Amino acid sequence: MFPENGGPRKVHLIASILCGNVCICNTGVCVSGKTELLYHFLCRCILPQAAGGLETDVMFVDTDYSLDMLRLVGILDSRLNRDEAALYSCLSRLLVVHCSSTSHLLLTLHFLETSLASRPSLSFLLIDSISAFYWPDRCEGGASIAKQEEKLGKCSDLLGRLLRDYRITVFATCHAIRSCRPSSAAASTESDRPYLCRPWQRLVTHRLLCSQQEVADNMTVAVGQQVFTVHCTSSFSTRTKAYRSNSFYVLDGGVTFI
Amino acid sequence: MVVLREGMCPGLDENVVRDLRAADIKTVEDLVSSDIEELALKCSLSYKTLFAIRRVLLAQHAAFPVSGADLYEELLSSTAILSTGNPSLDKLLDSGLYTGEITELSGGPGSGKSQVCFGVAVHVSYHLKQSVIYIDTTGGLTASRLLQMLQTETSNTEEQMEALQRIHIFRLFDVFSLLDCLYSLRSGRLQQASVGGGSVKAVIVDSVSAVISPVLGGKQNEGMSLMIQVAGALKTMAKDFNVAVLVTNHVTRSDNGEVRPGLGVSWSHIPRTRVLLERVEGAGSVSCSSFRSATLIKSSRQACRIKEEFDLQWWSRSKEGSSGKRKLEET
Repeated sequence: MFPENGGPRKVHLIASILCGNVCICNTGVCVSGKTELLYHFLCRCILPQAAGGLETDVMFVDTDYSLDMLRLVGILDSRLNRDEAALYSCLSRLLVVHCSSTSHLLLTLHFLETSLASRPSLSFLLIDSISAFYWPDRCEGGASIAKQEEKLGKCSDLLGRLLRDYRITVFATCHAIRSCRPSSAAASTESDRPYLCRPWQRLVTHRLLCSQQEVADNMTVAVGQQVFTVHCTSSFSTRTKAYRSNSFYVLDGGVTFI
Repeated sequence: MVVLREGMCPGLDENVVRDLRAADIKTVEDLVSSDIEELALKCSLSYKTLFAIRRVLLAQHAAFPVSGADLYEELLSSTAILSTGNPSLDKLLDSGLYTGEITELSGGPGSGKSQVCFGVAVHVSYHLKQSVIYIDTTGGLTASRLLQMLQTETSNTEEQMEALQRIHIFRLFDVFSLLDCLYSLRSGRLQQASVGGGSVKAVIVDSVSAVISPVLGGKQNEGMSLMIQVAGALKTMAKDFNVAVLVTNHVTRSDNGEVRPGLGVSWSHIPRTRVLLERVEGAGSVSCSSFRSATLIKSSRQACRIKEEFDLQWWSRSKEGSSGKRKLEET
């Protein structure tokens, strides 16, 4: 039912999306291809089935005005071969909501519940990014860590309930707050260490870590092309974990897996 | 965090607010998150009233979803691309500064960030005939330099004065005044600045790191929170008023000796496009001293790491003069 999403890693990912109840968190430093991967996922959801998409409705929660509509339309255009009517029908499947604080996000998610009930084709929730209010929340919470994490904790609990009751899939991006040091192998996991609150960490079932990669000799890419790697950690229960990696590069038409 | 007050919506009178407060429901978020049935029992209020109040409050305070198609149409009609006045820089930025976005210029001391900002301000004000808001936090802006640049564009003093009047300057030296200025611009001063000239199309903050880096560091979180607030204010201004925001940043050295923009990883996600300016290490002839190289380090439209070289004197080159001289300056 769900077509292959490019690359061996993604096939397994989509298979687990079949049962709903999946929360994917995409993290990485600044130039790591995260946003491109998000748009790739978004396009895959809203494109019509004839163009290889899932033709479902998507709710996009934009917390820091970072949605680049022009880039999104560029990717859709190249997949739809410049068909304007199809482009507009795809865009009408996308719903965008702006939030300006964690309290606002909480209220919006509550409001979303009614939309989820009334639109059965709405099965994906994309949040870009869930870490946008991390520093303002920490400052507002004062000295107590519990107070700092309280609001995001409430949002995570609500998201958990929406995941279970409405069988949606959540894809969120999380910006890195520490730069990674490539010098030592042990320190490379430092930038990967999750820093958001525990309720959110418990909710995430797949963590994707994006980073830049050196072009290896066996890759067939154009000269000077920047290559990224995405490393996926999937935890299905507290004991089983699966690890998978894949490389990709970005062209005008979007992400291309190697 | 919105506190519950009487009169916020029909049905929310003084008694209801008092009963809710007794049940520890003080804010809209508390009311919306709690179980209405349980609350109705606890406060001895009717389930129907509470449900209606909750629905109205949610509709008032939650964000309303917009269709992607409407958003795209709006963007098509309102986005503009402002040329910086320098063709090499325009090529790097994919035709220029886009409205609705933040573009960052970083570089060490003497790398030409302020000169580029002056050049952009003069170009937008004189050639595009639009207003510019220039927020100077370093004290490096002098009107005589702007006039010098304008004098190479035209010798008509009236036009020079008109162009200078379209550049509105704010001088501030700490992050709280910057926030104050940005909020007051959003709440009406932007429209005031548009009177008498073209509408405001560019907001230049030179430099944003000069006011933010003193409050960063140590174990306090206030500095980071203030930085995110400044970023939020700049972004909402860019989006709501369709202006192009240009900010400048200093540079630091990373562990492996590489030069990278300052303000840390948390700031790196804020600007949509980032350009690093450096001096050109070339043969030491006098005419090369004003050359700079610009590297694109983050962009959503072009491949990263492309480099362009340009001359800082481009904005103040003389447009008249012998053809031989012009050929030399245009290379």
